[in-house]
Amino acid sequence: MNPIFEEIKDAIVDGDEDLAIELAEKVVAEGIDPVQAVQLGFIKGIEEVGAAWTSGEAFLPDVMMAADAMKAGMDVLEEVLAAGEGEGAYEDKGKIVLGTVEGDIHDIGKNIVGALLTSAGFKVYDIGIDQKAEDFVAKADEVGAKIIAASSLLTTTMKSQKVLVEYLDAQSLRDKYKVIIGGGPTSAKWGEDIGADGWAETADEAVELCKKLLG
Amino acid sequence: MLPKFDVLTDEQINKIHKNSLKILQEIGVEFSYDPAIEVFKKHGQRVEGHRVFLDPDFVENMVEKAPAQFTLHARNPEHNLVCGGENIIYMPGYGAPFVYDADGGKRDATMADYDNFVKLAGASKNMHMTGGTVVEPTDVEDEIRHLKMAYSHIINSDKCFMGSSSGYEHARDSIELTAVLHGGLDVIKEKPALICLVNSVTPLKYDDRMLGGLMAYAEAGQPMVIASLVMAGSTGPATLAGAMSLQNAEVLAGITLTQCINSGTPVVYGCTSAVTDMSTGSLSIGNPENALFVSASAQFARFYGVPCRGGGGLTDAKTVDAQAGYESMMTLFAASTTGVNFVMHTAGILQYYMAMSYEKFMVDDEIAGMVLRYLKGFDTESDEKMAYDVIETVGPGGHFLTQKHTRKNFKTEFFRPALSDRQSFDGWSKDSLDTNQRAKLKWQEVLANYTPPELDPAVKEKVEAFIEKRSKELLK
Ligand code: B12
Repeated sequence: MNPIFEEIKDAIVDGDEDLAIELAEKVVAEGIDPVQAVQLGFIKGIEEVGAAWTSGEAFLPDVMMAADAMKAGMDVLEEVLAAGEGEGAYEDKGKIVLGTVEGDIHDIGKNIVGALLTSAGFKVYDIGIDQKAEDFVAKADEVGAKIIAASSLLTTTMKSQKVLVEYLDAQSLRDKYKVIIGGGPTSAKWGEDIGADGWAETADEAVELCKKLLG
Repeated sequence: MLPKFDVLTDEQINKIHKNSLKILQEIGVEFSYDPAIEVFKKHGQRVEGHRVFLDPDFVENMVEKAPAQFTLHARNPEHNLVCGGENIIYMPGYGAPFVYDADGGKRDATMADYDNFVKLAGASKNMHMTGGTVVEPTDVEDEIRHLKMAYSHIINSDKCFMGSSSGYEHARDSIELTAVLHGGLDVIKEKPALICLVNSVTPLKYDDRMLGGLMAYAEAGQPMVIASLVMAGSTGPATLAGAMSLQNAEVLAGITLTQCINSGTPVVYGCTSAVTDMSTGSLSIGNPENALFVSASAQFARFYGVPCRGGGGLTDAKTVDAQAGYESMMTLFAASTTGVNFVMHTAGILQYYMAMSYEKFMVDDEIAGMVLRYLKGFDTESDEKMAYDVIETVGPGGHFLTQKHTRKNFKTEFFRPALSDRQSFDGWSKDSLDTNQRAKLKWQEVLANYTPPELDPAVKEKVEAFIEKRSKELLK
């Protein structure tokens, strides 16, 4: 086994974004099998962090930095992977567009959800805070996402989650995407009321939810 | 009042102060609201886009202009409050979207809950005002929520209350409504009667809505709390000194803006900083770090010569259990004994500001009573209080239970619990009620017996007319 895979794994476990990029560039430059780099390097690393998180040994900065390093390295490999280079094929577990709804600037919870989804193997497109329904949908269309995930922390902006579902309905796009929602004041009942496909109280549950929806 | 104790040395204060000024000068603060940018430009501060870089001397001079204390006027002058100096003001929790019930149930807060909490605060001798946004009444359209909430405070109690700060328009409504209650905008400009909460967006930002609110209150000469909530470890550094420097920079920037708009506007230095739970990312408030941030903030407020807001009956617990009790006692006690003047969230909060609980309100009310008694300290003024004579009368071996001195003094010297159980085991075990269950009976009793103080019908009519007119306009 090429020793670089072990190095990539360690870079992810250490949450070392710069090193992850450097190693990914080396993979591309030296024509190393990118699928193996992903499977034996990046995914091995993030799985190790994920296991430590589940057992309570790792904390948020560990997971979030590992997710950032993973994302940065994978971005470098994106082109060669898309070109189908390497043995077999690598596919992410599914693409998810994530953002905080219009009028709301709370983003800590959203960022945590994004990191845990990334570490579970999903490809997350984080469109940021204060985002309109159109913005969620445009991004989902652009990247071919299956799930749209909307966060809201204010009782006054929860209705933007409803607007998102209504917008999809109006555009006759409702069947194309699964919509999931979350954030402090939201609830399972609210999710049902607005016709979302799922709600989760915590980031861990959000991961389970996405697995279920795409499983 | 007892002397307040410090948690920072003068040298530490200085170091953090300098660190904050450096942040303001070299990193700067983002103000998204154009009118605020204009104000800073007019005062000769360096502006790049929406980022403002503040000159240290300018900041110090501006903060200097804020008064050390001010009086907040209630519709009943007996409830006027001095904010600052040795005084402490308690009120209910602020902003929670949920109500948690005694049996562990969770539900959306409603306007009926709102009225109830205002009444409980009105009835309590430990709550000096009825607060603001005591819960988020989710059954009222948000366009007119601020009007309904203000009405509840006006009608259900004659104590001071807080107004909306969410955008210029809502802030202006709250101010004008308060003016109707007090007899005109010029009356409340002279005698401030409404206070609001303005929050920075940590790290180093102020958003449109809050700045709109800030400008409305500053223009009308109404006081405001300028607060920063640094979640150490997520929205701020994980070190206490770093988080405190950041919070301090943000609050100083906000105070500076208020004084630029209207020199001498009363402001309160606000702190809600706490830590991030690194296993879930959630805010955690029932802890020693929070207590330290609050105590340090009280010291900074003294250093800058302004009143301080911080602390409360703060907890991460989801029900009224031992955790709720010990965390709340720590945070309220720390705030109160280190010199905080304005304590939002004194009573009712569960789970890091997410919920209000009636039972928790009663527990915190009890804690508040205990702390207020503690703050009174020892009275050594008179011979009567020194009690030499009665000690002489009883002499060695006697007892004091039948002395006039005892009967006269115990009522004022001893704290009398309203909720705590001091019975024998047998007495207690007749019903075996725990604190949560007793608190439930207690708040129901208080509400059942509460009669809101009457409001002059002529004034009431004007208040209602204003609300009706504005509601129509806003719901159009
Ligand atoms: C930090 C904070 C802020 C910071 C935000 C900084 C930032 N970069 O995010 C600042 C100071 C800027 C802020 C501003 C305001 N805030 Co604020 N804020 C909070 C606070 C204290 C913590 C929020 C947080 O980050 N929690 C930690 C994260 C990890 O939890 P979380 O977001 O709930 O996320 C978890 C789950 O919900 C879930 N999840 C989240 N998103 C999603 C999405 C999906 C799809 C799924 C499946 C799951 C999921 O997973 C996450 C991890 O487990 C809360 C109170 C609280 N305890 O929650 C108030 C609170 C949310 N804020 C509140 C308010 C009112 C405001 C302000 C209006 C001003 C004010 N009075 O403070 C402004 C509004 C600004 C705006 N336009 O959005 C109120 C809301 C009340 C209401 N009406 O709903 C709260 C409840 C506080 C209170 N009691 O007053 N706030």
